[in-house]
Amino acid sequence: MQQHTNEINLEQHGAVTLFNIKGDLTSFSEPFLSEAYQSANDQGVSKILLKIDKEAYINSGGIAVLIQILAQTKRNNQNIGITGVSDHFKKIFSMVGITKFADIHETVENALEVMS
Amino acid sequence: MSARTIEVSLANKLGYERVAMACSASFAQMMGLSPERIEDLKTVVAEAAINAMQHGNKGRPDARVTVSMNCKDDTINVSVMDEGDGIKEFPPKPDIEKIIAELESPIGFGLFLINQLTDQVEFNEVADGGHVVKMAIKMNS
Repeated sequence: MQQHTNEINLEQHGAVTLFNIKGDLTSFSEPFLSEAYQSANDQGVSKILLKIDKEAYINSGGIAVLIQILAQTKRNNQNIGITGVSDHFKKIFSMVGITKFADIHETVENALEVMS
Repeated sequence: MSARTIEVSLANKLGYERVAMACSASFAQMMGLSPERIEDLKTVVAEAAINAMQHGNKGRPDARVTVSMNCKDDTINVSVMDEGDGIKEFPPKPDIEKIIAELESPIGFGLFLINQLTDQVEFNEVADGGHVVKMAIKMNS
């Protein structure tokens, strides 16, 4: 069954705050991602990396939640990247325009190198 | 219904679309659809089922969503039927620039993906009540 909860651990890697997101990305993810973002934003972060499970189920509700986070990072002049995305969702993210506002990185290591 | 048509009746509850995704993926794999297009198929089946649950059946717990699929003339055909009245007005294509600028709500991605990832899509009323989305994915597309 679809998981209706997410576990999001925030990890600091130099200037980059890594959101380690466990679970599927759906409309049910909204409170979990919003709370994590609010917590990071309150600490004054400037660079955010969202790490998604490669096997995570992502639907249009999850895409909307991600875009809401992108909107907030844009408003707050923060740099945001995404990693852990399967080839299928790289294509989907490009189709919907997410890649105009967030770079997709192959690995966490690669992302940290580029974003630091 | 032809002998080779598969049909799944889903509870009208978010999450159950994953049953239809898994079923459509197994069926498409049996028919020889490429792995990349199977991922596309799973996404459009999920989005059509979610729309059926939320907008067609309006979240009614006693309603059902029926997903049927077959393979004919090198095309995977999937129908997703709900008990609602259908789409009165299609939402515009989501404009991410406006959504990011918080000038528009982040809606309409499900239909957008269905249109992008299928080779053909139709939205029809059902004669004895309900609404059906018919989607086609060609084996060689």
